[in-house]
Amino acid sequence: MSYYFAIIGTQDNPLFEYEFGTSKQGGDGIARFAEQARHMNQFIVHSSLDIVEEVQWGNGQMYLKCIDRFYQNYVSCWITGGNVKFLLLHAPQPASANTSRSSTSIGANPTSPQTEEAIKQFFTEVYENWVKTIMSPFYQVNMEVRSPVFRSRVAAAGKKYL
Amino acid sequence: MTPPHNDSPFEPPGSSRTPTLRPRVTRPQTEPQSLASSTASLPYRNPNASVSSLFASTSATAESRSISPSGASTQISSSVFGGAPGEGNQPAPLERPEDPRNLILQSFIPHIAIHTSLDTQELVKDKGFEGGLWELLRPFGEQIPGKVTIRDSVGAGKVWEDFAVRFVQLGDGLESPDPVQGSRRSGEGNSPPENGNKSPTDALSDRQSRTGGDIFQVESLVDRHLIHAEQYPIMEVVDLLIAKGDQPGNTDMPSTFYTLYLRRLLSGIPLVPHETFSHPVACIIAISSRNASPIETLRKLYDESSHGAKRLPVWVNNDYLRYYVLVHDEERDDITKSIALFDQMKRHFGLHCHLLRLRSSHCVASDDDSVQLPRPEWLAAAEESLEIQKRENQEDMEDSYPCLYESDTTAIKTFIREMVTQSVVPSMERNVATWNDQVASRRRGMAGRLLKISKWTGFGGSRSSSSNGTSNGSNSNYNALQGFYRPDTPEALMRKLADYAFMLRDWKLAQSTYDLLRSDFGNDKAWRYHAATNEMAAISTLMIPQAISSKVRSETVDQMLETACYSYITRCGSSYGALRALALGMELLRLRGGSAADDAARWGSRILDNKIVGMIGDALIKERISACYASKGGSGSSGWGSRTRKSVLWSILSADSWLTLGKPQQAKARLDEVDKRVKHLAWKDGLQSWANANAFLAGLRNEVILSLYPESAIDGPGALKGGEIETEIGEETSEPFVSRPHRRSLMGVQAPILAESESKPLRGMEEEEFEDENSNLSPQLQFE
Repeated sequence: MSYYFAIIGTQDNPLFEYEFGTSKQGGDGIARFAEQARHMNQFIVHSSLDIVEEVQWGNGQMYLKCIDRFYQNYVSCWITGGNVKFLLLHAPQPASANTSRSSTSIGANPTSPQTEEAIKQFFTEVYENWVKTIMSPFYQVNMEVRSPVFRSRVAAAGKKYL
Repeated sequence: MTPPHNDSPFEPPGSSRTPTLRPRVTRPQTEPQSLASSTASLPYRNPNASVSSLFASTSATAESRSISPSGASTQISSSVFGGAPGEGNQPAPLERPEDPRNLILQSFIPHIAIHTSLDTQELVKDKGFEGGLWELLRPFGEQIPGKVTIRDSVGAGKVWEDFAVRFVQLGDGLESPDPVQGSRRSGEGNSPPENGNKSPTDALSDRQSRTGGDIFQVESLVDRHLIHAEQYPIMEVVDLLIAKGDQPGNTDMPSTFYTLYLRRLLSGIPLVPHETFSHPVACIIAISSRNASPIETLRKLYDESSHGAKRLPVWVNNDYLRYYVLVHDEERDDITKSIALFDQMKRHFGLHCHLLRLRSSHCVASDDDSVQLPRPEWLAAAEESLEIQKRENQEDMEDSYPCLYESDTTAIKTFIREMVTQSVVPSMERNVATWNDQVASRRRGMAGRLLKISKWTGFGGSRSSSSNGTSNGSNSNYNALQGFYRPDTPEALMRKLADYAFMLRDWKLAQSTYDLLRSDFGNDKAWRYHAATNEMAAISTLMIPQAISSKVRSETVDQMLETACYSYITRCGSSYGALRALALGMELLRLRGGSAADDAARWGSRILDNKIVGMIGDALIKERISACYASKGGSGSSGWGSRTRKSVLWSILSADSWLTLGKPQQAKARLDEVDKRVKHLAWKDGLQSWANANAFLAGLRNEVILSLYPESAIDGPGALKGGEIETEIGEETSEPFVSRPHRRSLMGVQAPILAESESKPLRGMEEEEFEDENSNLSPQLQFE
């Protein structure tokens, strides 16, 4: 299971990107995307904004759950009050060696309630940190977030929940 | 190719195209000139007319189809193409031939088999048609002149202008090699005379080439067309020039290659037990005035067709209409004798007779009243490939497409019209009424529902005949061993009823009948039947011009397509059927717009998921998915709920696929589409701010330009400095003459592209985008 996490500003521009792998089930937390996924992930996440913009009017929640799918890539969304979107793309590992073990993990079934819950916890924690980060007096809207502290906190959240 | 190499040389074109989101700013200025210069250079290209005319279906349609119905455009383009033969006298195309509904109307049509005597064969051969009467009639069946009135099941007449029938040789379309071989073996004795001087194996391969249903063949044919289009890209330029004006409607137009793909997918529907579209609705039995013993020959031909050597397999209902034709030779034979004979025929065989008066001499193009035989549009893929091959191998460049005297054309048209309106359609209507009365309504009524529980014994002793075939002892009519229903079982009759209704465009009756059958076939575990019926049920539901709410749609259409797809692929291994069901379902759903377009795209990606198409199909389907998303318009001024970004993504994917296939022209068209759609986005620079994605896109563009204009890479930058416009013209005109190395895409090799992103043009782009970024800080201003 590999994750690609992006925070997207109000003008469809990426504010923060982070790739990581699962740490559950003995995962080492390193993303295993194919080389071409470098750009594909960005394309997919960008195109999912279409769906986000439709779904966001459907319910009052910030967590929109899994909203989109592109082949084997699932996209979950969290939308903040400032119209900044957190998108998490999760791709189950393509038939790796430890299939038997990972079949019970949250990665194996991207739409299961467990996965949903785990992602929600991840998003909640990231959101907390996000709010703290953008409270910085030097931050302006749609500015890229380069803070290493924030990055490490996202990494920690990823490690903790996913 | 190393990054430093390709970076400076193609900077000039690159600088005009890639950096911004409007890379084609110079295009409008150059196009008129390039068109003029290209028309000037036409004489050089002319010698290819005979081959290129075969590609008219994609290149000529590129003009007449992708551009609105205005007449001017067609004229320009046909002149540019050096007079595609048959263009002028072909009946005016339907208003929107690429509309999938029209494709369906024109593909699921009554098939009329043709069975002729030897002397008719000879007569037609004298006229220069090797294939016999069939070859002569075929193109005329595709467009029946005038209106055809069809009564539906309630008795209401409806007038259709575009009714068509398909002429096939008796026995064409048999799919599996076994039955064909079987019939060949059994027909060994008389096959040489039937096929003239052709050897039986020749005839066999001919017949096989006329059978569609092979995805591979379709793809290789489309590939051929694509190669042609890549070599002579002039049409694209004209296309762009003319289509430049209308931006929004353009997304709706499928590319000509996709239209061709669908068309070939649907032509030559194989003769199979589980659907009866290609089962003959009627059979023309023809003799000529040269025959010494006409009535006996007719009888012999009839016997052959119903239980002789030419008998179709047992699962084909043999009770189709026989239509007797006397071909009169105007030049050699006496008309009074023929009329007398014709009267005699009428007495013997009833009303379904016709006297067709033809001139027997060979018509050449220089004759006074010669008319070129229209080119049949519904060739099977293999057949068209063969024809292209033949034409390409031919040395003489003169276009040898056969001609016909105008009087003959009129005679044939009258004959077909009379036959269809007076015999074929009425007999189909009658059959529909009968079966609907006797079979379907019994099944539909309360009694039928009860009977179904105790497995109703239908119609004329079918029980006894089928029960001995079923070994499993369950009392179903399905012969599980051989995998078909006998034609007289109620299930088979109902399937035929539904197909007839579908062919007569009575969607409601067809839909309700298919719907009844679905569960029956499912209960009998007749999976092929089950899949085909689900497919047609979905298609006919979507053909009914009636709004379907998304809830009903997900309960009916989605279910049916799902079942059809699953049954076809998993249970029957028939990817052809699955592709047909999904592609048609996708197109029909797309037409409905709104949330149905989303579904359409979903079915499209299902095609890709199941890997039922090859490389070409893959690129084409991606293109279509993009179109599906694009056709979902948003609401309000800012287009909430539109799928522009999705469609951009799929266009890019498709461009990548095309480039990998070595078709830069197509890739360029897709990238142009991307540019056009990005303009509709609220944040046009949104995608640019994604570094990797943007680098990839820029890499694609560079690659396309490199493969389209290789000169720009060869020539030093100095040569290009002079004037950009001039060099562009030079490139465009000389382009067709260079043997372009269809270079493989670099996309496969990822490293160079990523490296390129570091190189100069991209730098420039990023800087520019950075400026945009800054100005974006006041979003409102930027947006408007």
